[in-house]
Amino acid sequence: MAKKRTLCGAMPTDNGEFVIDLHHVEKTYKGKIHALRDVRMQVHRGEIFGLLGPNGAGKSTLVKIMMTVVRPDRAEGTLLGHAIGYKPALRRVGYLPEHHRFPPYLTGRQTLEFYAALAGVRKRARRERAASLLDTVDMTAWADKKMSSYSKGMMQRVGLAQALMGEPDLILLDEPTDGVDPVGRRDIRDLLIRLREKGTTVFLNSHLLSELEMVCDRVAILVQGRIAQQGRIEDLTADSQRYEIVIDGAPPAWVDKEPQLRVHKGDDGQCTLICKGAEAAAIQPFIDRLRAEKRTIHAVRPVRETLEDLFMRAVTDPVTGRALAPGAAGEPGSGPPETKS
Amino acid sequence: MTAFLAMLLDAYRELNSRKLFWITLGMSGMVVIAFGSIGFNEQGMSMFYGLWPIESEYVNSTTPWSRALYIGIFSDFIVGIWLTWIAIILALISTCTIFPDFLAGGAIDLVLSKPIHRAAIFAMKFVTSLMFVVLQVTVFCAGIFLCVGLRIGEWNWMIFAAVPVVTVFYSYIFAVCVLASVLTRSAITALLLTLVFWSSLFGMQTTETLLQSTRIKLEIEAANAEQRIDQLESRLAAIEPDPSDSGNAVARASFQRRLENARADRESSIDGAAKLAPWHVPFRVITAILPKTQATVALLSRWLKDPDGFSIADMMRGDMTGEALIRDPVDVEANRRLEEKLEGDSAWYVIGTSLAFEAMVLGLACVIFMRRDF
Repeated sequence: MAKKRTLCGAMPTDNGEFVIDLHHVEKTYKGKIHALRDVRMQVHRGEIFGLLGPNGAGKSTLVKIMMTVVRPDRAEGTLLGHAIGYKPALRRVGYLPEHHRFPPYLTGRQTLEFYAALAGVRKRARRERAASLLDTVDMTAWADKKMSSYSKGMMQRVGLAQALMGEPDLILLDEPTDGVDPVGRRDIRDLLIRLREKGTTVFLNSHLLSELEMVCDRVAILVQGRIAQQGRIEDLTADSQRYEIVIDGAPPAWVDKEPQLRVHKGDDGQCTLICKGAEAAAIQPFIDRLRAEKRTIHAVRPVRETLEDLFMRAVTDPVTGRALAPGAAGEPGSGPPETKS
Repeated sequence: MTAFLAMLLDAYRELNSRKLFWITLGMSGMVVIAFGSIGFNEQGMSMFYGLWPIESEYVNSTTPWSRALYIGIFSDFIVGIWLTWIAIILALISTCTIFPDFLAGGAIDLVLSKPIHRAAIFAMKFVTSLMFVVLQVTVFCAGIFLCVGLRIGEWNWMIFAAVPVVTVFYSYIFAVCVLASVLTRSAITALLLTLVFWSSLFGMQTTETLLQSTRIKLEIEAANAEQRIDQLESRLAAIEPDPSDSGNAVARASFQRRLENARADRESSIDGAAKLAPWHVPFRVITAILPKTQATVALLSRWLKDPDGFSIADMMRGDMTGEALIRDPVDVEANRRLEEKLEGDSAWYVIGTSLAFEAMVLGLACVIFMRRDF
């Protein structure tokens, strides 16, 4: 992650300048399904932000509220500095819904120009941008063929281009790599990184945790309509950072006297000493002692929780150890673990 | 404006992709070709581009009846049957999917996320959805205009009045289709509900016209009976009773009997009209509120009427030969009064009240659309 930030060089400073700043977002469907409960979320300018959550957690509802597709019961805060629901602000926002349906009778080029015209983009700009973006998403060869002849991956590419037609400051992408092949996914990731470099804020809604982990600067995990975790991935996983030292034989006797060490005995005659903390210096004395005892050290490795581990932790009931019920309609008190941000 | 033009272009592309649009246009073309096949010369008229000559001393290029026939075929039959029934049903079948497709998940998100107010989106979508009818009727009227010009030498621009008239007529019906689409999001349900509404409307308007004409007829009969009573009473009063004259008694008895019959007729007519009133009034009120589909289309006949009073209706009654079919004078008078009453309603009233209903239906649909989560 550190390397990625260095490369892009466009990380926002925590100066309070938020592209998305949501407070008290609440939505109940038909008076009984609590889709969102008091959601608070901040997205900085120029970052790639990932929203995660199990099915029915309320992710799409939250995005749709920002895009005025769904009317919230309550929503305070701003989108690009304007109140949520302020239509003119959407001129600077690109959006790709999850299960999008483009008119099958339009060609890829016509689709881009049509939605750009709805967003108020002028004719000449529409033509130029459509040609350029079709090239960007590698769809120039298919530009003048009907959408009805496109594969799902092709539609996704055109959808992504559609979201970029207005040269937005913010793009909200709901499952943008859904149906896209591995090469296409890499292309999309690269495109998102290029957008971030240009200062565009990207809001990603996805199930593909590994992909989010590769591109996102910050994430939020939405569980049963509440934000369970929010922040930089490395900050959220900092508590889980540790070193593992794999050695032959039984664990040394002195291990019990070291409070930061835990032991995991393997079935293959080896055992693993687990040292909590992210500092390499902290494990040097233990390595010295093991070497002094002529122990064979098989491996010394830094370990950090993955985004998937973090996600699973967020969606697991800390009391029962079971995954929380899917959906957003949990009863009060049965929500996700405490918010961390 | 950019957004509206984009939606207009999109509507055209959508129509262009529908086979039914082209099938309907092809059928319209055939109707125009058939209409253009009727010709007139000094000997009479001909059908199928001269293949079937019909000699007539009344309907030929030298008499005004040829104009009455040709324009009448257009305004009374082509507009009345083809454009306002068959073409409209085809248009409804073709366009009933427009709103459900527009409101489908994944499609509506892309439009609602644009910087356009929901009410504006709804209004633009409705207006652009009328393009099917506008295009069809415009092309059709252009064909008819050429036929009329070439066949009877009358370049009548009023023929193009059919474009707004049929479009407005269609918009009354389509508004209901839109409301049903917004409520159910199902094209087939919307189409069925629209057809039920339209047929109910037709039934109510026809019933109201029937009740109206029957009431007028009964009122005329009552007035006629009243007139007869006055005549009989004065004639009876003129015959002094003379017990010595047996003929006098017979005459008086005869007048008395006729007077009683006339009074009975009057009572029967008044009673009949009174009994119809409770049925007629609700129909009149309901049809006054609902869109006036038949009256809207009838505006075209009114506007295309021959300035000298020759009409296809007169021809069908045999007026052109001077040997008009013998008809009940009460029926003739009732029809005259009914026509007078219908034509008494101005175009502003007919279209205005219908558009008011349409606005109410669309307003309701728009409110639902604006308040709905997609």
